[in-house]
Amino acid sequence: MSAATDAPSLAHRRVRRRWGAPLLFLLPAGLLFVAFLAIPIGYALYLSFRGMRVSGGGPFGLRQETWVGLDNYVAAFTDPELVAGLGRLAIYGIIAVPLTLGFALTFALLLDLPRLRGARFSRTAIFIPYAVPGVVATLLWGFLYLPSTSPGNWILERVGLGGVDVLHGGMLFGSVANIAIWGGVGFNMIILFTSLRGIPTELYEAARLDGASEWDIAYRIKIPLVGPALVLTGLFALIGTLQVYGEPATLRPMTSAISQTWVPLMTIYRDAFTRDNLSLAAASSVALALGTLVVSIILLRVTQKRTFGGS
Amino acid sequence: MMRRTAPVITALSAVALTLAACSSGSGSGGAEPDDGGPITLDYWAWGTAQQPMVDAWNAAHPDIQVKRTDAGGGTDSSAKLVTATRAENAPDVALVEYNTLPAMIVAGVAQDITEYSNGLESEFAPGVWSQATFDDATYGVPQDAGPQALTYNKARFDELGIDVPKTWDEFAEAAEKVHEADPDTYLTTFPPDGFGGVAAFAQQAGGQWWSVDGDAWTVDFDDDASVAVADYWQDLVDRDLVSAEPLLTPEWNAKVNDGEILSWPAGLWAAGVLYGVAEQSAGDWAMAPLPQWEEGDSAVAFEGGSALVVTTSAEHPEAAAEFARWMGTAEEAHAIQIEQGQYPASLAGQELTLESEPPLLMPKQKDYWETAAEIARTTIPEISWGPNVNVASSAYQDAMSKAVADGTPLRDALTAVEAEVVDDMKTTGFEVTQK
Amino acid sequence: MSTATTPRPVGTRRLAIEPARPASRRGAVLPSIVLFLGALYCLVPVAWVLVASTKSSSELFSTFTFLPGTGLLENLSDLFAYGDGQYVQWALNSVIFAGVGALLCTLVSTMAGYALAKYDFPGRQVAFYAILGGVLLPGITLAIPQYLLMSKIGLAGTYWSVLLPCLISPFGIFLARVYAASAVPTETIEAARIDGANDARVFVSVALPMMVPGMVTVFLLQFVGIWNNFLLPFIMLSDERMYPLTVGLYTLLSKGSGTPSLYSLAIIGAAVAIIPLIAMMLVLQRYWRLDLISGGLKG
Repeated sequence: MSAATDAPSLAHRRVRRRWGAPLLFLLPAGLLFVAFLAIPIGYALYLSFRGMRVSGGGPFGLRQETWVGLDNYVAAFTDPELVAGLGRLAIYGIIAVPLTLGFALTFALLLDLPRLRGARFSRTAIFIPYAVPGVVATLLWGFLYLPSTSPGNWILERVGLGGVDVLHGGMLFGSVANIAIWGGVGFNMIILFTSLRGIPTELYEAARLDGASEWDIAYRIKIPLVGPALVLTGLFALIGTLQVYGEPATLRPMTSAISQTWVPLMTIYRDAFTRDNLSLAAASSVALALGTLVVSIILLRVTQKRTFGGS
Repeated sequence: MMRRTAPVITALSAVALTLAACSSGSGSGGAEPDDGGPITLDYWAWGTAQQPMVDAWNAAHPDIQVKRTDAGGGTDSSAKLVTATRAENAPDVALVEYNTLPAMIVAGVAQDITEYSNGLESEFAPGVWSQATFDDATYGVPQDAGPQALTYNKARFDELGIDVPKTWDEFAEAAEKVHEADPDTYLTTFPPDGFGGVAAFAQQAGGQWWSVDGDAWTVDFDDDASVAVADYWQDLVDRDLVSAEPLLTPEWNAKVNDGEILSWPAGLWAAGVLYGVAEQSAGDWAMAPLPQWEEGDSAVAFEGGSALVVTTSAEHPEAAAEFARWMGTAEEAHAIQIEQGQYPASLAGQELTLESEPPLLMPKQKDYWETAAEIARTTIPEISWGPNVNVASSAYQDAMSKAVADGTPLRDALTAVEAEVVDDMKTTGFEVTQK
Repeated sequence: MSTATTPRPVGTRRLAIEPARPASRRGAVLPSIVLFLGALYCLVPVAWVLVASTKSSSELFSTFTFLPGTGLLENLSDLFAYGDGQYVQWALNSVIFAGVGALLCTLVSTMAGYALAKYDFPGRQVAFYAILGGVLLPGITLAIPQYLLMSKIGLAGTYWSVLLPCLISPFGIFLARVYAASAVPTETIEAARIDGANDARVFVSVALPMMVPGMVTVFLLQFVGIWNNFLLPFIMLSDERMYPLTVGLYTLLSKGSGTPSLYSLAIIGAAVAIIPLIAMMLVLQRYWRLDLISGGLKG
């Protein structure tokens, strides 16, 4: 620990070029990487060009796997539901990502202020949802949304106002996003908070003595300095958004407003399992994974060229 | 680091033991070689009745031992069966819902067991038997059946002065009356995702969504009968006389318990399900035959019910078929089924129910099983399901939910489902005409 | 920018003497209140599940949401009696998957991260970009091909099918690399080597102890990740007895047609499942070194 603070520049130098030892250290990771990431990716690619077709004729002819070329990709890109799902995903993301990051940054900056009351309690409490599995979190919020168990509606009805149905219409996007925000704020807050703690105080003690307000310090010094951390949390939030599946899928039995194709991954799941069309699911997966990659790279290029420099 | 080593080793050895214990039993085709030792069959099935039935079989058949696994309810389990079959990992025997059986055949999951099915046909009513037979080949042994009936809250019906409706017209009038008497109360639910229910209503009205002639399929989801059914429910939904929400949500369960939803037209299994979600209102309920389109008719269709199939992965198909036959026809099996609230598919099993107490939901209805037997006798014999009910069901859920939410015509949703079903069949390579 | 991410022991900074400024006393009240509201928002659903777990199934939908019920003991005994103690089996499975998976994953990641940070060898950049690509890939899109491949080697439906894919975590390797780069000085390694230690010995007795805080972070991240994982075990496993808690709780809710969902059991099950995890978070909180994540940006 302490060694790191002594001489970071020296620590970054590498041991001289050699072959054997590093490859041995990398061997377990490499084997696992090939077996459980690289080969499945290749296999998914292969599957995306295959399809189940009836052979032998007859009304109950067996279906067999054959080569179908780009059929699956054509089907995926012309499926209006997959496209509509992307649209819904965009709405969800526009709500979830900025709010998660906004709350996380706000809480982190507040925690970094001097003379707080109960800061430790608040910090811990905000971090707690991270420990709650997504399936469970959705179950909990689902019950809080349902009119018959919702405390909000209980109060609204007591004061004579009608209940609000948060599981239909436009409110639905907010309700699903809320589950993700709830689960994500704490984790992101801790990342940002620890990077704030890494800023040497001298950088803004002077400003403070000059009479700068805490707001000015936050805006002009702290936020720019945690920029890299913000980019990274933003990137994870974005990837998380593109992969959203668990929350709407678990919420589906509680409302008819969530279709089986509500977001792209739900369509992929439906095609693969409910409809037994693995190859179409593989094609959509490949497209989605490529899309994620492209979006991530664009985000990184736009925000900071040096980010992820490698060495 | 050192202090952590001991617990780590303990943990690792515990894991090693568990892994050793579990990897031997799983996976499948799991029969032992024929060296005179007992055969072991893997069996996937859901529901409370299965394990006691399997236990009874195992006690009586030391040579063929069955290991049952709960691989999830009907939908999850059949999806897993298809994937497992492709991965050559399927069990020997599996429980499958009637309407997914054709999909299991074309996916190569279910095996033709005609050669092991001598004399089996006479054990079942024609309507039940046709659910497991395709193209003159037998693919399954029916286990339980779900002819549609009307399960209703008799106490609330009496309180509101409503007679049990005999026709759908009377049913609509009753819905009106209920809603006038209490605006928070609905006679029933029209679940937008209720594929099985509406399929059965349409069949009762004379609809035939899939039909097969030689090698060619005909698909017709929006025939006159089905459209009439859609329009009927459209009217009730538009006038806010039925609740158009999914079934069995916490919300729905609470309303059933509170007497705010008064009936459920569904398979005979509804009594068991309702008891599970609305135990406090048990005793208030009764069951009556499903309303008819024309007074005096008696036809009803099935909703739900399942059969045992022998999979193509089975290494001992004969033993597997023997087990399946026992599960579907043995008196011992029926006794357990009835006790657990299932309605047996076989004639002998249905006979046996007459000696049983009524279900827990309606302990006061002494003629429950007679009524049930009456209904079972009048089920429509010739219903065929297509090879892609899974696609139809998922398309239906989305199209109907959207139609209900947007207020667009329900009949158009049927047309949309038909288009998706035909598309899927064409892509797969079936010969299909759309009507 | 580069100074901003230099790892620094948490807490030392506050030793700096703050100028006494009475005006800011008032200023700290509002932030405290905002933080407290945030805490409240995060605690409400947890409080709800704890309260709801005390309700009998009839009270669940009839009494006010946050009014405790009378059914806690009955719910608990129902939960532990369900399916001959299946819940305990699920919990045990979760502990095995998450505990063993995270432990082995940490070792694998640490070794790989150390090699990537401290050695210069051909293909280092390629390996590093492959790992970054892995970080960006949606896990769900891999689950199906993983299942089919697992089946081909006869492992689908076994503990291994869930455990093995959890051992590789590109993100864990990424973090370990970042940590090794900053926490293990190259001079120390070279000094040890001059003393005659070989590569393995240098790693075990010099580098590893220095990397412990980073390893704890990787372990915790991976533990929570596996514990919360739903889709992989859901697809891989068909035997209820091998399910982890997430899949087990899900099956209580989705029983399929003809069987009602077991809401009360799912709620008490959820409450019991999150209590130990929250306790673990509270205890291990101070070991979290999440600044690693942002430190990675400097490269």
